[in-house]
Amino acid sequence: MAELSLQHIDKIYDNNVQAVFDFNLDVKDGELIVLVGPSGCGKSTTLRMVAGLEDISKGHLYLDGKDITQVPAKDRDMAMVFQNYALYGHMTIYENMAFSLTLRKENPNVIHKKVLAAAEILGLTSQLNKKPNQLSGGQRQRVAMGRSIVRSPKVFLFDEPLSNLDAKLRGATRREILLLHKRLQATMLYVTHDQTEALTLADRIVCMSMGHVQQVGTPLELYDAPANIFVASFIGLPPMNLFDAKVEGDKLVLQQGQGYQVALTDQEKQLLAPYQGKVIVLGVRPEDIEEGAGLPVTISNNENLGMNTLAYGNIGGPNGAKICAKLKGWVGHQHGDQLQFAIKRKHLFDKETTNAIR
Amino acid sequence: MKEEQTQKAFATKAKPAAGRELTEDRIIRRDRMRFKKNKTSANLTLLAILLNVLYFVNLYQQDKGENHYYHSMIIGISIVYNLIFMLAAFLAEEGVKNYKKNYSFPLIVLGVIQIGRIFILPMDAHSTVLSMGQTVMGNGQFTYLVVLLVLSAVCLLVAAAVNLVKCSELAAHMKTLEVRPDGTRVLAGKSA
Repeated sequence: MAELSLQHIDKIYDNNVQAVFDFNLDVKDGELIVLVGPSGCGKSTTLRMVAGLEDISKGHLYLDGKDITQVPAKDRDMAMVFQNYALYGHMTIYENMAFSLTLRKENPNVIHKKVLAAAEILGLTSQLNKKPNQLSGGQRQRVAMGRSIVRSPKVFLFDEPLSNLDAKLRGATRREILLLHKRLQATMLYVTHDQTEALTLADRIVCMSMGHVQQVGTPLELYDAPANIFVASFIGLPPMNLFDAKVEGDKLVLQQGQGYQVALTDQEKQLLAPYQGKVIVLGVRPEDIEEGAGLPVTISNNENLGMNTLAYGNIGGPNGAKICAKLKGWVGHQHGDQLQFAIKRKHLFDKETTNAIR
Repeated sequence: MKEEQTQKAFATKAKPAAGRELTEDRIIRRDRMRFKKNKTSANLTLLAILLNVLYFVNLYQQDKGENHYYHSMIIGISIVYNLIFMLAAFLAEEGVKNYKKNYSFPLIVLGVIQIGRIFILPMDAHSTVLSMGQTVMGNGQFTYLVVLLVLSAVCLLVAAAVNLVKCSELAAHMKTLEVRPDGTRVLAGKSA
């Protein structure tokens, strides 16, 4: 049982730079929460405050209902896995995993049992006598996780654990973390700037920007119903196409280029009724675009990914708004080809507040 | 469930050569040897080297002033032997640290030689009287050097004995382990 609650948390450094603004989050027992956002958005700072490695300037942190805001890191019963593994090079894998328990002067036989059990879970049984420099990056990261597991902490904290791994290993280790979470059913807080990690791992995602929480929700909620332009552009690969468009009657008129028009559905007309004559932001995901009657696009370049093709172009001509479409299959468009793109689904945002219009 | 499996695996009894049943704690203690160095033997050997250093430093520092008793071939041999002793003991220390049974034997030989050395330089120097009626080595220094050599020998012999016992235990324990298809050895009942 480990429920974590962050209430109105601020982080203000000594030089008066504020890194985190009014952070609120309730983490349920056994939940895997991913903090995602660009570099410098305050996600690692938040994690370090939870771990006790940074002081909390304002607000309160509760673990199972107990206020631990002022509790030192060593007494918080949390284990942190770092990006650079933080393993001791002169110790074997067994000794690295046993180290924290040895420091606590636990019974050596108990330590032995815990280390073997953790190694078994992580598939490290055959590596226990090796030194860290004899292991691959993925195995080292598993050792770092094993070192956390043996402590049986209430909360696991991961600070960009996969950033040092190559793409293939990252995918494999990501799946291992997911399996580990299912197996341990532990409460986990995971920081990453990689939206793929966030979408695949999280029970819920906290999307952050400039120290502010932009949206908290399930991966599908963030993808399907982004709360604002930032979330819409951050979640999704390639990012969402965003166009300034003026609401004129039952259609949107794109502001860049030659004023191409996009028809609105009845529901969209209702939503945009208060915006008549105003400029809003139209968002279209690349995967919601298909070839068909609609916007005229001049292709600038094509990226074939096997199952899909990313077609980049400009609406109307070379000076028109840029657009990216994720087309199915291997499509061999050439630079300068003239196509028509149909929009299957639209996202609408208030240009002033940047919030979604719902 | 994993915890249950682990408990079950550790609850398995193994029978040593003597036929006496091993307790769970003893099995785990033996199993720990697979991942831990034999620090007892290694540290005892290093202590023996240190005691030997104290021995020869104390012995050689007496050869000053008009006392030229030690200016002989025997002191050269003693210096060379000390170098060989330190090298051999250190190499053996690395061996016993990793549960190499055969490295116990050089330790035993070195230990016996340490005892034998008492009867060479210290004993001879203690019984030699110079022309002025002065002894080369007083009772205090003689006792001190004998104690150092005896302690050094005891450390080496105990290190060798401990290593022999641990190597036998480890070898017996390894036979009780299950070997998985990937070559990994695990406690009986822990195979996936």
